[in-house]
Amino acid sequence: MLTILKSEWFKLRKSNIIGILLAGPLIGLGAGIGADTAEAAGMMNEWYMILIYMNLPYAVLFLPLITGVLASFVCRYEHQAGGWKQLLALPVTRGKVFAAKYVLILLLVLFIQLFYLAAIAGAGLYKGIADPFPAAIVWKSILGGWIAAFPLVALQLWMSVWFKSFAAPFAVNVVFTLPSILAMNSEKVGPYYPWAQPFAMMYPATENGDIFFIPWEQLITVIGGFFLLFYLGGYFYFQRKAV
Amino acid sequence: MEYIVRTENLSKHFGQEKAVSGLEMKIPKGEIYGFLGPNGAGKTTTIRMLLGLMKPTSGRIEIFQNDLKKERLNILKRVGSLVESPSYYPHLTAKENLEAMRKIVGMPKQRINEVLEIVRLTAAGDKKVKGFSLGMKQRLGIAASLLNNPELLILDEPTNGLDPSGIIEIRNLIKSLPSECGMTVLISSHLLSEIDQMATTVGIVTKGKMIFQDSIEAMRMFAQQSVLLKVSESDKAWRALLGRGMKAGLDNGIISLPQQSDENVAEAVRGLVEDGFSVYRVEEEKRSLEDIFLQMTREEQAG
Ligand SMILES: Nc1ncnc2c1ncn2[C@@H]1O[C@H](COP(=O)(O)OP(=O)(O)O)[C@@H](O)[C@H]1O
Ligand SMILES: [Mg+2]
Repeated sequence: MLTILKSEWFKLRKSNIIGILLAGPLIGLGAGIGADTAEAAGMMNEWYMILIYMNLPYAVLFLPLITGVLASFVCRYEHQAGGWKQLLALPVTRGKVFAAKYVLILLLVLFIQLFYLAAIAGAGLYKGIADPFPAAIVWKSILGGWIAAFPLVALQLWMSVWFKSFAAPFAVNVVFTLPSILAMNSEKVGPYYPWAQPFAMMYPATENGDIFFIPWEQLITVIGGFFLLFYLGGYFYFQRKAV
Repeated sequence: MEYIVRTENLSKHFGQEKAVSGLEMKIPKGEIYGFLGPNGAGKTTTIRMLLGLMKPTSGRIEIFQNDLKKERLNILKRVGSLVESPSYYPHLTAKENLEAMRKIVGMPKQRINEVLEIVRLTAAGDKKVKGFSLGMKQRLGIAASLLNNPELLILDEPTNGLDPSGIIEIRNLIKSLPSECGMTVLISSHLLSEIDQMATTVGIVTKGKMIFQDSIEAMRMFAQQSVLLKVSESDKAWRALLGRGMKAGLDNGIISLPQQSDENVAEAVRGLVEDGFSVYRVEEEKRSLEDIFLQMTREEQAG
């Protein structure tokens, strides 16, 4: 498994992935710099304001969408020129290949989250925010967003090993991501809608006693449940795929 | 006999279509097995199943005398393969392509230069594969298949897209593998001439069925010329020849004498004349392997 991951990393390193990794944090940075946080000055920590402004485009749209782009990216080289048959005729199990690609995407999403963290700090420094940096809350938000991406990455990997084209998995992704704008405003649907979870997990709520910004039950049942569903779906599909 | 590959009643159906049916493939150790059949005969489908890329509809596969279903990983460690068009990562150089595989099969780094040297691709080793010609990609594919120094090498139409000098090089390379590296080779082709020049054992497949499987010599026996006689009252004449204890066949009013020496032919003609038959024509039938192959496939289609 580790050898497959190393091989995947090697293939990826030689591609121009870095542009994709930086796109989201730059969008966030733009939103942060453009945000009018001055009105909050004195009332609340200005860092919260900037985080909320930056999270809107980033956590609602960008983060869910990028999971699909990354999943397509790590499968693209196999789809392009007969890579699947070469890879799967090596002494590897399909389960491990699937897992290696999954872990690889998670790592990339983690990098994006860390770049985003840098973007938050950058936007705040640019604005000269004097309030103390709420490190614990920002970290919760960064890691929470990452965890919320687990099920989305699993579904997108499933779609990406299935479809040769870039467009099909992306269309699936867009179709599910856009409604999250509505879902997150609904108390009924919001907590159960997987694509609304990144925003929920990244939104700096007030202390609620849980480690993350959503209740534990929601984390385990919704994020954990959909992760299992999507991961196993993709795993079993890949086991049976003829190449 | 020790078989490196053995399939039992191997079949693969795509919906109604029987791409492979009841295939009993037997590849003895150290042979170059030529897997011959026209396009669409089921060669690639069979090879995909041998590598576990596709599940058989029914039947069993044994490689190195182990069940493929149970021992897939251990088997694949000892197999190298090139299936259909060559596989490659376009954004990587030739060396990087091999490196991505090497990380998984775990050979020393030096092996990359060795296999590039074997297929004469050393000079292009640092060039991106997207700029390669089909022939160069094919060579890279062969290099990749040799990377783990396999005991069984499976090459699906490996000379596709190569120029004539490249074909000769690859042919010589493949011929040298069993003696130099102790490999067993399975090579598929739709060209009889190619198999004729490389293989030591032949399996001929058409419409998913194996119609011939034996040594290349046995196959060439089919090609041996016979002498054809056109005579009056061919049926009677044929009986007369048999009565004289000669081997003869009768087909469509033409008598054929298989593999006869000049004396025997002379004796047959003399005998026929003595018995009062008119001999109109004596001709030699030359059958190329191509003819035999066509005949075999035609018989299969008719039957
Ligand atoms: N994935 C597939 N789905 C449906 N039919 C297929 C598939 N692969 C091959 N076939 C069919 O199976 C038959 C055998 O194909 P193939 O094994 O590629 O032949 P060959 O390699 O001998 O040219 C062909 O008729 C082909 O159309
Ligand atoms: Mg083929």
